Amino acid sequence: MTTTVDDVPTTTGFVVRVNDLAISYTAGRTDVPVVRGVSFDIRPGRALGLVGESGSGKSTVARALLAHLRRGSRIVAGSVEVAGDDVFALSPVDTRALRGGTAALVAQNAGQALTPSMRVGRQLREALESHGLPSGDDRVQELVRRVRLPDPESIVLRYPHQLSGGQQQRIAIAMAIAARPQVLVLDEPTTALDVVTQAAVLELIRDLAVELEMAILLVSHDLGVVSSMADEIAVMRDGVVVEHRPTADLFATPEHAYTRELLAAIPGAALAPAPADGFAESAGSAEPDPAAVAPAPPVVQADGLVIRYARHLPAAVQDVSFTIAPRETLAVVGESGSGKSTLATALAGLIPTESGTFRFAGDGVSGDLAEPVSGRSLDLRRAVQLVFQNADTSLNPRRTVGAAIARPLKLFTGTASAERVGEILTEVGLSPSFAARLPAQLSGGQRQRVGIARALAAGPQLVIADEITTALDVRVQAEILQLLADLQRDKGLSCLFISHDLAVVRGVADRVAVMTGGRIVEIGPTGRVFAGPNHPYTRQLLDATLEPGTTELPDVQDAVATWRDAAGGGWRDLGDGHSIRNWEDA
Amino acid sequence: MTAALQSSPLTRFRGRLRGWTTPLRASTALSIGLGLIALHVVLALLAPVIAGHDPVVTDSTNVLSGTTWSHWLGTDQYGRDILSRVLNGGRYALLVTFLATTIAVAIGTVLGAVTAYADNWFDEVVMRVVDALLSVPSILALLVVVTVFDSGLWVIVLAVTVVYAPAVTRVVRGAARTVITQDYVTAARARGEKPLSIVFREILPNVLDVVLVEYAMRASWIVLLISTLSFLGFGANPPTPDWGLMVQENRTALTVVPMGTLAPIVALATLVIGLNLSADGLSKALGIDRAQQGATS
Repeated sequence: MTTTVDDVPTTTGFVVRVNDLAISYTAGRTDVPVVRGVSFDIRPGRALGLVGESGSGKSTVARALLAHLRRGSRIVAGSVEVAGDDVFALSPVDTRALRGGTAALVAQNAGQALTPSMRVGRQLREALESHGLPSGDDRVQELVRRVRLPDPESIVLRYPHQLSGGQQQRIAIAMAIAARPQVLVLDEPTTALDVVTQAAVLELIRDLAVELEMAILLVSHDLGVVSSMADEIAVMRDGVVVEHRPTADLFATPEHAYTRELLAAIPGAALAPAPADGFAESAGSAEPDPAAVAPAPPVVQADGLVIRYARHLPAAVQDVSFTIAPRETLAVVGESGSGKSTLATALAGLIPTESGTFRFAGDGVSGDLAEPVSGRSLDLRRAVQLVFQNADTSLNPRRTVGAAIARPLKLFTGTASAERVGEILTEVGLSPSFAARLPAQLSGGQRQRVGIARALAAGPQLVIADEITTALDVRVQAEILQLLADLQRDKGLSCLFISHDLAVVRGVADRVAVMTGGRIVEIGPTGRVFAGPNHPYTRQLLDATLEPGTTELPDVQDAVATWRDAAGGGWRDLGDGHSIRNWEDA
Repeated sequence: MTAALQSSPLTRFRGRLRGWTTPLRASTALSIGLGLIALHVVLALLAPVIAGHDPVVTDSTNVLSGTTWSHWLGTDQYGRDILSRVLNGGRYALLVTFLATTIAVAIGTVLGAVTAYADNWFDEVVMRVVDALLSVPSILALLVVVTVFDSGLWVIVLAVTVVYAPAVTRVVRGAARTVITQDYVTAARARGEKPLSIVFREILPNVLDVVLVEYAMRASWIVLLISTLSFLGFGANPPTPDWGLMVQENRTALTVVPMGTLAPIVALATLVIGLNLSADGLSKALGIDRAQQGATS
């Protein structure tokens, strides 16, 4: 944001003043400091971004602005002033007036923030009523129009589950701004949204902040989101702000070692920084390794694949064809619901395919991937291994790490010794002593390493990585991607890499397939896809991606489709294995 | 195999011990509840030593006596020592409860986890049978069984099992269904593990917390149910010392020797309170909301 507001309404010039704030969490007899001496100010119309890894205390600080503390937490020192009042000294009545009135919160998951059994119009009316504002139908519809939702008359009659994630988040924003707050607290507001929706929602928030002269505190782990929205960035670690500077300065010359580490960990950061107008970079930076394109029979060959969950449902994956060569990484990108995870699930044999050919032909193993797990040979099951998105739920909480790795060893190789488990743990960068631990005793990154170790234990030829870094902080994400790349090179693995994050894909994939609505619309070598020319859907995805360091929001249209599949179907071949599904303007 | 990578067995044992006692320190309710149960178990085990009188020997010269040095709680209308009968009555109640609860919960747990994972015609059939059994009032079913087959220990145990296993099945099935959606179950399926191996290795260990709470809760109901049966005259046969039976026998003499009725009631109440507190404490310590698990019936 570039707006500067000089004639500020409050006497101090700051609508938010956090002064040397320290918060502790008490669990039993131990006292854990969560926030230690955090200070910052925000002027009206300005935005401060709070970045940090999970557990850094950034959400605790954000919620303190609304006088909200987690149960068991207490203020040890310092103060939080919003619009001139110390929020923790307010009476219960004044606290209620503060929440939603002076300061409003937009939470991460709008689906959970809205009451499922109430029409959204009624929820908006309630937001107005609770602050003693007029709440006629016209006022409610004006709010809906404010957040740029089409057709306010019919939207207000819907229930939250009848709205898309982006629409839900817009309603949540409408509720937050109902009482014209002076401060808007955004806690990971777009983490649950697709890139295209994310860009549109962020643009809305920025415009509203300027229009209503709100001070914004934006909490996010996504440096791209923060850099495009915030005027200043405060980097938090272990409850302390380690660096607090204007956005452009911070990205240009990070001072603190931790900030430098964070910036270095951004996926694709090793590549040349992309110009703001797109990804038309030199071909050299992403040229596929000559060895990788050497002609070899593909490990996986899919042709005209159709996958359907139930007979009466539309196909989740339709007419999908691709190949994966030995040692190659094929990335599949697309928004949620595009069918990319369904593809991964079918490759793992967890759901049957309806039609099309789907074959595996690896080193000494071949088989029909159209068969579900129960119909596959032991060797084929062994050759195809799955790494899950969420390592928290992919490890049995009651079994030790050693047992989790020993199980596939025993199943596929017949024996499982403690030494072998130790070796595998060492390969994924953990010490053998981890074998005795339970998943709850590990960090998110360590759990994902165990997830990879479990897949490796089988001795696979193809690894399916389904959004494996989505749940991880940016630094840990970089480590895991590096680990996967190293293992793939050392063991000669092929990989199907599923992701919604183009920046991640760009760093790891040899080839990219873009999926939407169950179909592949573009497939080609990574460098070629990022360089263009592209299918309009790919273009939209690329444009909406927020590069950390850019301070501009892309102009993205998320409401109306601009293309449709060409009537005749067919593909346009751009050479070098790069092809695009034919399309026409809608 | 993981043990080989461990430090010393002693530290491991200490760690495990600490793990087991953590909920106790966190929850006063659980400590009191388990304390009450332990007290009942100890008293029941040591009953012959403490009591000092044979619970079934009558003494016509000393009926309906108040508190004396030889009979601390007095005697009943047949001159039997009330303290001895209360202490020995606990043995029967605890034994039946332990057997019935264990069998009912074990059957319900395995059946619940298996049907949840099967999710096919087998699941349908089992759950419809469960529905049918749940629709029969438990006390009526028990009365019919006892009337037909006489009231032996095993008849009662098995009857209670048939009455309560369906409820446990339902609760465990619900818990197991949420476990099944977790990725570690998907991972096991993708490995090609056999269904029973998935049920016992991946699902059951993760519903054990629910099962534990369920156990404590069912036990308290079963204690009451068995006492009710005895009180109605369908449970233990006289002169067996049993709490329900004692209340029934002595309530006519309530004004003369109140201890004859009060003592078994207090014993029964403390046991039920102990079980309920344990169930509550366990569910809090293990993070299970009883209402959420559909266990409020």
